[in-house]
Amino acid sequence: MMNHVIAGVKRSLGLHKPGKSLLILPDDIFLVSFPKSGNTWTRFLLANLRFPDQQATWENIDRLIPDPTGTTKKDFDRMPRPRIIKSHECFDPRYPRVVYIVRDPRDVVVSQYHYHRKIRKIVDDSPIETFVGRFMAGETCPHGSWGQNIATWLYTSEGDPRFLLLRYEDLVADTARELAKVVDFLHLSAGPAQIAQAVERSSADRMRKLEQAQADKNGLFKGSRNDLSFVRAAGSGGWRKELPAPMVSKMESAWGPLMQHLGYELATRAPSEARDLESIGTLSPRR
Amino acid sequence: MIRRLKYAVKRALGLDLAGKHYTVYPDDTFLVSYPKSGNTWVRFLLANLIHPNETVGFSNINRLLPAPGVLTRRFLRTLPRPRIMKSHEPFDVRFRKVIYLVRDPRDVAVSEYHFDLKKRYIDAGMTLDQFVRLYIAGGTSSYGSWWEHAASWIGPRYGNPAFLLVRYEDLLGDPIAETGKIAEFLGIKADQDRLKAAVERSSADRMRKLEKQDADQWTGTKNTVKEIPFVRAAKSGGWKESLSPQLVEEIEVAWFPLMNFLGYELQSRELDGKAMPAWMKTGQTL
Repeated sequence: MMNHVIAGVKRSLGLHKPGKSLLILPDDIFLVSFPKSGNTWTRFLLANLRFPDQQATWENIDRLIPDPTGTTKKDFDRMPRPRIIKSHECFDPRYPRVVYIVRDPRDVVVSQYHYHRKIRKIVDDSPIETFVGRFMAGETCPHGSWGQNIATWLYTSEGDPRFLLLRYEDLVADTARELAKVVDFLHLSAGPAQIAQAVERSSADRMRKLEQAQADKNGLFKGSRNDLSFVRAAGSGGWRKELPAPMVSKMESAWGPLMQHLGYELATRAPSEARDLESIGTLSPRR
Repeated sequence: MIRRLKYAVKRALGLDLAGKHYTVYPDDTFLVSYPKSGNTWVRFLLANLIHPNETVGFSNINRLLPAPGVLTRRFLRTLPRPRIMKSHEPFDVRFRKVIYLVRDPRDVAVSEYHFDLKKRYIDAGMTLDQFVRLYIAGGTSSYGSWWEHAASWIGPRYGNPAFLLVRYEDLLGDPIAETGKIAEFLGIKADQDRLKAAVERSSADRMRKLEKQDADQWTGTKNTVKEIPFVRAAKSGGWKESLSPQLVEEIEVAWFPLMNFLGYELQSRELDGKAMPAWMKTGQTL
């Protein structure tokens, strides 16, 4: 009861975190992904692009590109428009424009496994097999399974001019090229020099250095292990070393068609099924 | 400020409307549909099935088959479990067990047009043509477009044992059999007599009479244009008379993959029967 009253007073002062009740404005931009898919990196990239006068750090990132579940309503109300907002939610028709980042689920599961070690959700010798099972059942985070989260967005929004799909792997391979797509999509006024600067300021090296210096400045790290870093490999294909073959085939048998559609080559599937992909062209723009 | 504090007190006591902010339990079942797809009819069917000794009407349907959006959080907390609730939300990961009711989007368009006029959501002078174009763009509902809604649920859940897809048209065609399927999904043991009674008590005629009696006591009909009924045609295929071939084509061009998947025969021969892409058929294991 007392908790309720405190929450109520906070609410009336705008000090609560709005979550799903955030008032969405027609020019808002949402940066959406399943967790551990490069969302934080992309936040740094976009923040450095949008706010070149203030370099993105772990201290200001929650203000520059906030998450409705992590930043207060008051701070949201103060943001310059158009706002760029971070989210891990499944499809939400209220989001006016969406940049969706997708990452190979075989890398996502490895990344989330290590992240859960860092935040002490699992112990070091916890078998990755168990984790993969929970991951596939959607039990390792509150945003659905990888397949569900992706499917709710792709089925509803692929081909929609208000939806930009980016692959984490492409971002790694040619960050400036992919960032230029975002600039186009959002009609930002940024030339190659500004894009290069944003890429530079958001490099894995710089983010690691900032993390070491500011580990106490972001709620993300609160109570987590200091011996493990949030910014880890920052690459793609690490699953080939870390993910046991039976786990790979389990994931591919569940999500194979979706993975192939996204251009992730399967390690265990016969190539003949790839032919089915030709029919994807039948999906027309819907608006 | 005062209004905010008032809300804060209400919230502290659980007397605020739940909206999206209520606890979902793992054993909840949701009756989900896009608006104007037969949701209220199925609520009546289920309420009559579950409460054979109550007279189900518009004045008590919000209690008997609750709609979280218009009820208080406290009320939802006190419901006996497992709860069955109604929703128009697009995909919500918290909803584990879902009956998804879907209706031909061409009929939904016509139905929603009349409903939005009744509710004064749209200008009385808006034509059906204007409305349908807005409808295709997802501009007539806060729940997204018909496509977005249906795809968000069918995409990740179709084939899952905790997901039952029901077509409004099948329900019209054989209401007893379809209600039987829903009862089985819910684990309700109902024989033919009980199913038949529920169907009769939820007939369009009976619901029309109840609407006349109770229109002022239900959130769906209170303060709306009385001349336009809530329970309207209660049939399928009405779009053939109401929509111009041009509008029908616009709907079909926009949404044919899902319409074909759902077995809705298309006017356009070219698009009729064109399959869903392979990658979209992964619901079983997502």
